[in-house]
Amino acid sequence: MNLKLITMLGTKVDEEIYELIVSTSTGEIAVFPGHEALVTLAVPGAIAVRHHKGDPDNKLEFFAISGGIVEISQNAIRVLVDEADHGDDIIEAESRAALDRAIELRESAQDQIELEKAHQLVDRHSVRLKVAELRRHHRRQ
Amino acid sequence: MASTQVIKSRIRSVKSTRQITKAMQLVAASKMRRSQEAAKASAPYTLAARQLLNALAGHTSVSDHPLFVKRPVKTRLLIVIASDKGLAGSYNTSIIKAYTEQLQSDDKAGVKNTTIAIGRKASQFVSRIKDTQIMGVYQDLPDRPDGRELRSILDSVRVKFTSGEVDAVDVIYTEFINTVKQLQRIVRVLPAGFDSEVEPGVATDAVYEPSTAEVLDGVAYRLVGAQIFQALLDGRASEHSMRMLAMKNASDNASDLIEDLTLAMNKARQGAITQELAEISAGVEALNE
Repeated sequence: MNLKLITMLGTKVDEEIYELIVSTSTGEIAVFPGHEALVTLAVPGAIAVRHHKGDPDNKLEFFAISGGIVEISQNAIRVLVDEADHGDDIIEAESRAALDRAIELRESAQDQIELEKAHQLVDRHSVRLKVAELRRHHRRQ
Repeated sequence: MASTQVIKSRIRSVKSTRQITKAMQLVAASKMRRSQEAAKASAPYTLAARQLLNALAGHTSVSDHPLFVKRPVKTRLLIVIASDKGLAGSYNTSIIKAYTEQLQSDDKAGVKNTTIAIGRKASQFVSRIKDTQIMGVYQDLPDRPDGRELRSILDSVRVKFTSGEVDAVDVIYTEFINTVKQLQRIVRVLPAGFDSEVEPGVATDAVYEPSTAEVLDGVAYRLVGAQIFQALLDGRASEHSMRMLAMKNASDNASDLIEDLTLAMNKARQGAITQELAEISAGVEALNE
């Protein structure tokens, strides 16, 4: 089935895949070809893509997403997200450092705007860190 | 006639100005190409969101959603998108003109209004006038804004609208049509519109989880965001192409000026030589007598 990962900056992914694992507001779901038509909300977190049937877990491709809408029809998936980063582009140590900085910012925020910005940064970097960790975990297997 | 020395130094200064405007033209041209691409890239996102909204309309009453509720407009929020830097031809002045027209019409209609200014030029203008309340100022947005800058704007807009503090939200921006043509536009983003023209792209028998209302909320929010984002990108593309054109005109003018000045300098030099010759031959005449 075809997967399209669409962000406001353009289409990030447009390819044939076998399985998609995504966290939705009602729990984690795995989508295989022939899944019933479904529209649901994705929560910030990781999505995993298995390209071919029988690919082992260490070949999963990960993306960090910032929440969005998942639309599944008979043989296509469209994921509409605000932001998506490829797992390979995320460096774990950097994410960890960025998360620490964001938490520091949140603690020292002076006004509402700074606090909001810091909150967003914390959310963003914790998702990225999670994806980096997931990737490392799977690669090791 | 000015002395050749004076004209020479003027030519030098015009030449260095031309060098600067030429460089700015080239920089603007490459930035324009990039922002043009970005402005086009968000199209699939908007289309998908519209298709989803269309499909949802078949299942639930879209117009009851808080972002779609139409109220009589008593307070209006204007989002003005201008640039941080000047030297972009009429980019900022046209936007500010369109904005003041809106302020005047609100004033006549007795509608209160508040403003979110994006770009330093807009915020400088808004802070000087008394006709509006400032709700927020955003400066130094990057050339390729990602979702984060947008989200803080979008969240504050949504809160203001759903709480009833404002009854309508309009974006004033410059639409990018092509390199030489840009138009000032005013687009109403809230209450959100519903466009039934879009061809359906979603299966009609789809299941909505956790509920149609919650999915609708997510779709509507993103659709409004996409509209504001598109306005930001269009504004950027317009800014860079207007700057490129303005700088091209400035370089051309400088070239013309240099030509005129060179002509004047040559005339002055020739005049001086002719006078010297006349003086010498007069001196020779005097000696011969």
